[in-house]
Amino acid sequence: MEGKEKKKHMKKHSGPKADKKRKRYLKDLGLEGEEDARKRNPKAFAVHSAVRMAKTFHRTQDLKTKKHHIPLVDRTPLEPPPVVVVVMGPPKVGKSTLIRCLIRNFTRQKLTEIRGPVTIVSGKKRRLTIIECGNDINVMIDLAKVADLVLMLIDASFGFEMETFEFLNICQVHGFPKIMGVLTHLDTFKNNKHLRKTKKQLKHRFWTEVYQGAKLFYLSGMVYGEYQKQEIRNLGRFISVMKFRPLIWQTSHPYILADRMEDLTNQEEIRVNPKCDRKVSLYGYLRGAYLKNKSQVHVPGVGDFALSDVSFLPDPCPLPEQLKKRSLNEKEKQIYAPMSGVGGVVYDKDAVYIDVGGGRVKESQEEEEQKPSQELVQTLIATHATIDTKMASSKVSLFMDSKPLGAEDVQDMRSSLPKEELVVDPETGRVRRKAIFKDGNDDDLTGEDSNQDGETSDEDQEESDDEDMDVGSENDEEGDEKMSEMNRRPIKRQKAEDSEKKEIVELPAFADSDDELELSSAEEEDDMGVVVEENEEGGLDRVEESVSEHDEDSDEDLKIEDIGNKFESRKVTSKKTKQAEKHTPLSRGGMHTATDSGNSSGDASNSDHHSNSELDTEVSDSEDQNIELRIHSSKGPCGKMTKKDITELLVEEKYEEPNDPCLETAGALKWKEDLAQKAAETFLKQKRAPNLRKLVYGAVAEDEGEEENNQDELGGLFHVSRPDKESRCKINGLDCSKFPVDSPQDWDQEEVMNSIRDCFVTGKWEADKDAAKLLEEDEEIYGDFEDLEKNIVHKGKVAMQIDEAEAEEDDEEGEEKDVDEDEEDKVVITEEEEKQQRLQKKRKQKELFNAEYDEGDVTYFDELKEELSKQAQLNRAEFEDQDDETRVQYEGYRPGMYIRVEINDVPCEFVGNFDPHYPIILGGLGNSEGNVGYLQMRVKKHRWYKKILKTRNPLIFSLGWRRFQTIPVFYIEDHNGRHRLLKYTPEHMHCGATIWGPITPQGTGFLAVQSLAGTTPDFRIAATGVVLELDKSITIVKKLKLIGYPFKIFKNTAFIKGMFNSPLEVAKFEGAAVRSVSGIRGQVKKALRTPEGAFRATFEDRLLMSDIVFMRTWYPVSVPKLYNPVTTLLKPVGEKDSWAGMKTVGQLRHEVGTKVAHNKDSFYKPIKRQKRHFNPLHIPRYLQKSLPFKSKPKNMEKKGEAPRDRKRPAVIKDPHEKKISALLSALGVVHSYKVKNAKIKHRQQHKEFLKIKQKEEEAKLQRQKEAKKKIYRIIGQREKKRLKASLTGKKQR
Amino acid sequence: MATERSLRFEGCNFFRQRVILSTLSGKSIKLQNIRAKDDSPGLRDFEASFIRLVDKITNGSRIEINETGTRLYYQPGILLGGAVEHDCNVQRSISYYLEGLICLAPFMKHPLKAVLRGVTNDQTDPSVDTLKATSIPLLKKFGVDGEGLELKIIRRGMLPGGGGEVFFSCPVSKGLKPIQFTDPGKIKRIRGVAYSVRVSPQIGNRITDSARSILNKFLPDVYIYTDHMKGVSSGKSPGFGLSLVAETTAGCFLSAELVSNPQGKGPAVLPENLGRDCAKLLLEEIYRGGCVDSLNQSLALLCMTLGQQDVSKVLLGPLSPYTIEFLRHLRSFFQIMFKMETRSFDEQKGGEKVLMTCVGVGFSNLSKTVK
Repeated sequence: MEGKEKKKHMKKHSGPKADKKRKRYLKDLGLEGEEDARKRNPKAFAVHSAVRMAKTFHRTQDLKTKKHHIPLVDRTPLEPPPVVVVVMGPPKVGKSTLIRCLIRNFTRQKLTEIRGPVTIVSGKKRRLTIIECGNDINVMIDLAKVADLVLMLIDASFGFEMETFEFLNICQVHGFPKIMGVLTHLDTFKNNKHLRKTKKQLKHRFWTEVYQGAKLFYLSGMVYGEYQKQEIRNLGRFISVMKFRPLIWQTSHPYILADRMEDLTNQEEIRVNPKCDRKVSLYGYLRGAYLKNKSQVHVPGVGDFALSDVSFLPDPCPLPEQLKKRSLNEKEKQIYAPMSGVGGVVYDKDAVYIDVGGGRVKESQEEEEQKPSQELVQTLIATHATIDTKMASSKVSLFMDSKPLGAEDVQDMRSSLPKEELVVDPETGRVRRKAIFKDGNDDDLTGEDSNQDGETSDEDQEESDDEDMDVGSENDEEGDEKMSEMNRRPIKRQKAEDSEKKEIVELPAFADSDDELELSSAEEEDDMGVVVEENEEGGLDRVEESVSEHDEDSDEDLKIEDIGNKFESRKVTSKKTKQAEKHTPLSRGGMHTATDSGNSSGDASNSDHHSNSELDTEVSDSEDQNIELRIHSSKGPCGKMTKKDITELLVEEKYEEPNDPCLETAGALKWKEDLAQKAAETFLKQKRAPNLRKLVYGAVAEDEGEEENNQDELGGLFHVSRPDKESRCKINGLDCSKFPVDSPQDWDQEEVMNSIRDCFVTGKWEADKDAAKLLEEDEEIYGDFEDLEKNIVHKGKVAMQIDEAEAEEDDEEGEEKDVDEDEEDKVVITEEEEKQQRLQKKRKQKELFNAEYDEGDVTYFDELKEELSKQAQLNRAEFEDQDDETRVQYEGYRPGMYIRVEINDVPCEFVGNFDPHYPIILGGLGNSEGNVGYLQMRVKKHRWYKKILKTRNPLIFSLGWRRFQTIPVFYIEDHNGRHRLLKYTPEHMHCGATIWGPITPQGTGFLAVQSLAGTTPDFRIAATGVVLELDKSITIVKKLKLIGYPFKIFKNTAFIKGMFNSPLEVAKFEGAAVRSVSGIRGQVKKALRTPEGAFRATFEDRLLMSDIVFMRTWYPVSVPKLYNPVTTLLKPVGEKDSWAGMKTVGQLRHEVGTKVAHNKDSFYKPIKRQKRHFNPLHIPRYLQKSLPFKSKPKNMEKKGEAPRDRKRPAVIKDPHEKKISALLSALGVVHSYKVKNAKIKHRQQHKEFLKIKQKEEEAKLQRQKEAKKKIYRIIGQREKKRLKASLTGKKQR
Repeated sequence: MATERSLRFEGCNFFRQRVILSTLSGKSIKLQNIRAKDDSPGLRDFEASFIRLVDKITNGSRIEINETGTRLYYQPGILLGGAVEHDCNVQRSISYYLEGLICLAPFMKHPLKAVLRGVTNDQTDPSVDTLKATSIPLLKKFGVDGEGLELKIIRRGMLPGGGGEVFFSCPVSKGLKPIQFTDPGKIKRIRGVAYSVRVSPQIGNRITDSARSILNKFLPDVYIYTDHMKGVSSGKSPGFGLSLVAETTAGCFLSAELVSNPQGKGPAVLPENLGRDCAKLLLEEIYRGGCVDSLNQSLALLCMTLGQQDVSKVLLGPLSPYTIEFLRHLRSFFQIMFKMETRSFDEQKGGEKVLMTCVGVGFSNLSKTVK
């Protein structure tokens, strides 16, 4: 150790110690305390050049303005949809683990398997939809388009993988969402230094890809297969406070990341043709922009569809109501992931689902104290008898004190069934179905229908195919289908069913009870009075009854605090019998949830608890539940005391008793809550104004379907055509925008004239705009002023008044003690008034001041921003006070809503091959974005892609929402604007491309991939670019050279053949420019008679027979019309990443094994050039004469041999002379050598001399410098002292 | 690709609306039973002429008409624009065509420069003068502006001969601004054009005097230009008329107009009567009020619909039947519904108004080229 040399001490340049030293040094110099460089070194900051100063100023201003983004109108809704977090990374990097950890972090729940998007509440104002992005490039492309935030997982032990870069590139093309890197597998590093180094390396690479300083997270190690809690918590915090920039594509298009899919197709149709097109409903949060009903959407991987129906549902994963507290409580930490089988209660348009098997794993603690509501559900599940047997035995009491009715009673009363009749409400225009009692039967009319109905319900049961996506729950699915079927069926069938009652009763109950429910509930809506009578058919109430009977057994040990839950849940059951239906046969163990169907019974309680809690939240607010409860309680046949007591207790405790008897009977329907009030409101509204809306949009806006059905059909068979005379003459009327005056007023009368007086500037003005009043006000504000010259204070009126008032106040204060209370009140009032006046005045002055003050630096940018923020405010405020139903009609479904979308004619493979791991996106299309046309785009081959792209090779594009295969044609724009065809893309340059594809707005980015199938180690993205122009025709041309040969040459004219085939062709090209190979230019003149296609052409010079004449023409190129949407979602599960479209010729050749057919003419052969013989230039004599002498050919005589006397004789040396010359040359060599050496030496000497000189010079300079420094310091100190002295001097003296 | 089914309509009423909205929305239309029960069934010449004009300014449109002309299928292409010349049919005036062009012009690929020939003023359609005075400023409100926006009457042509010529040019815009146009302001000036062709030049003055006699009761600032055209620029038939425009402090333009009976049809009209009646019509229009006059209601609503996804508001007078149908069409083509609130003002401010509110569809000019 000692032998080793110790490390030298390094002087510190930074840190506290170095600072201290520097300070000390400065103190020594006497310069301490002057931290500011500007002060310390004023010379350096002096103005030397105005030009440079201006330049720097410009530059700083440029940089400042560069930072601005174009301000956009803030269109984020008040309750924004969940943020889409895409977790992306190569396989085995820990994506699912991360998602699971995040979910656990936010909701304290553990998901076993994650399928599809998971929505969670992450904070008071934020929800997240987390979705995993697999390694399939299709998924990567789709998710990059909807992502708000990307968590990019990187295996640190391995480094970056191609997928990461591909994904980054995809993101860049389709708008750049926020990207956060997450490094995993950091525990594999044993060497700490190596770890640090890798981290740094990865970080910097990541930064170059995203932006400098992009956030990169490190997940160090795993604990029991999960990431460390603290790290996940930090990550979660980062996510939940992150801010997002709006992306253009996303904000201008509505889109839905579907989290649930259901097949609504009629089971019968599927049975008949299993490959029939399906009707599908999709659910999800709407994001981006407003979605209009009936608009077009694109589902990437499937195709284009028109929305057949859209409806909004209550939020399944709502944000907590605004409360003043710090964190969420357990109840508010919701999770919603229907495809993974979590989410508690799910409200559908026509059903409610209760999740029974839950994701909670707290079973051990809570198993003992099962909540009664859980019992309810459990009992429902555990029902053994079928519903119809129960129904037969069950009894219903319709009114509180009435005799309970059994099934037999119902059948007796069948004869007096109500018949429905359509009544159009004259006031609202709504079509209502009034129930009318009639004695006669009209079975014969509807008999046929009923038969059909029986069939369908039969078949309904038979079907139990496992088509559904919620795997275990066949029943649920079945129910669904039935519901939808019911919706479609005309309501008239009811009568038929009634007449065929017996037959139906024999069927398993839920088949028709459903019908009854549907009908009765539908009728309930229309007429409350009749509801009860109608229910006697038994459907609804019996089911309810069976339910309630069943749990009466377990009722006894109810706890009061749980009642709310219980009744609430029962309400749900009664209201939507569907659920009951679903759960009764669930005794088999079929669960609503897909994942946990195995261990359901164990989990049931827990999940139930969960759902209960959700129900609980519902309970507290709505009043009609109260009514509901009452009905339930009264319904018990012998009225069990316990239950009644409880109900009463509950009623006393929580609710006010409703007084309206009508309400009591009406029961479950919420809308009836404050009917009278609503009616009054609508009446008032109508009184206020003629309903313009109805005038314009008709009754259609209110309920479309019903009306159409009822108007046109009579008894379901005959179509009533009522020729509307008005419309008949209207449809061919005069198309004119003028609005003629029907009954002109008499404008000579004074009254009439007065009616528009105020429309003119000469009329009366409003108070705030009247010039005279404004002047007055100004006086109030500017009233006080002081004439400085004359020392007079002018006071405005108000100021005087106020002064007086103040004086009065002072007086009053003194008096105040002995005035009565009444007077005191008065005083208070007057004081308040005064106060308000003063406040107003103050505010006005403040505004004035602000306006004056701000005027100076209001830029265009600020103004624009202001304007846009105003617009945003208006957007928010305009429809705020309206209820969602009408609001939706005006502005469409707004982002943030949870909506359900129905689509018709979906290929059956979409349902059959459904895989929840693949995201389903519904991308809304703008106007005419559903059409196809030619797109011109700017393309650049990706620099990492190894091949260049060939024109007319099929390529897969990702553009807008779509992925599709098409055939691009590449071109480049020439200087004159011509689009010249390119055979291949340039290697490092942009070029143009034209494709036949979907119309997409200009400026949209796209990327192209050669093939989606399989995996290659290479980079897969072939090209990127942007759409420039849309058109229905194209302008690409390619060069075509026509070649001809002269067959007769006159002076400057030649006859050319071989270029065209007919005189007609020539005629088309008359006047066109031609050129010979030697560069002689010419023009096509006229066709010759023989040979065919020959023509006369003139040239600027005489052609040679050996010349070739060619003409350069441009030939238009056509773009193949291939538009082939990529349908990956239709592929079977497991093969979804193997979509292969059209193949390239090259691929086909490779597969078949044929070689390229070569054109022999195209081969390169060695060029054999014959030696060309040129004749000597002959200048005619007359031309020679006129040439200047210089240019004249000189006819020089050839020189003859030199004459003898001119020739020099040769010198012959004798031996001595030879010796002398040899010696001389030797001496010369020696001398030159010496000289050379001397030169070198001299040069060296001089160099040394220079060195010494320089050293001396330096030393001298150093000395001088020191001296100067000393002198300056002294001078400086003196100066300082003098300054100090001058500052303090006065005092001393 | 699942193409949308085309929209079907019956009859030929509101023919232009349907064609225009179809072109803008990219949805194809089918018109059936066009005058099917009429003695001379099928499309009229002026409708055919309109379709031809649309064909000229678009690229790639498909138009199919059956033999009798009672059925029309129109699949819109892309709006091309550029220099267009069109001989309009004299059955309708140029403004019949021009109204359509004004709706389409801002969304072309190249700035539109159209020369239209035909009848400039007639009794059925609004005159070109009125369009010039009202529609052009309205377009400016929506951000369609610049050097190119102009409408010039080069020659006047009256019924039945026609022979007028109009030059209309419009720059291309990327998108339209949302507007809040709820305060009509107060009328500060009234302007007008009293034109006469192939009649005595005195007629203009006579019209002016009679119109002023009424309008001056309300406002001193009334100025009516007399426009007497001679020679080539006077078209082929005689006639005269008056077009009045009232401008408010907020930049609204309300118009009224009246034209003499065409030669050989109906009794001769006295210029004095015409001037007086026209002035009364203007008062009637002022009584109806609103920020946009009754002719341009549909244009204003269209521009609001095609704006960004922001709330636009405009105050209109009573809706004309044309506008009402236009609203219905807007709903079927763009799924846009307007919120309509009636507003009644103080007694001396005319009749009831309607406040129209909508959220734009976020339309962008798809034809325009970006470089």
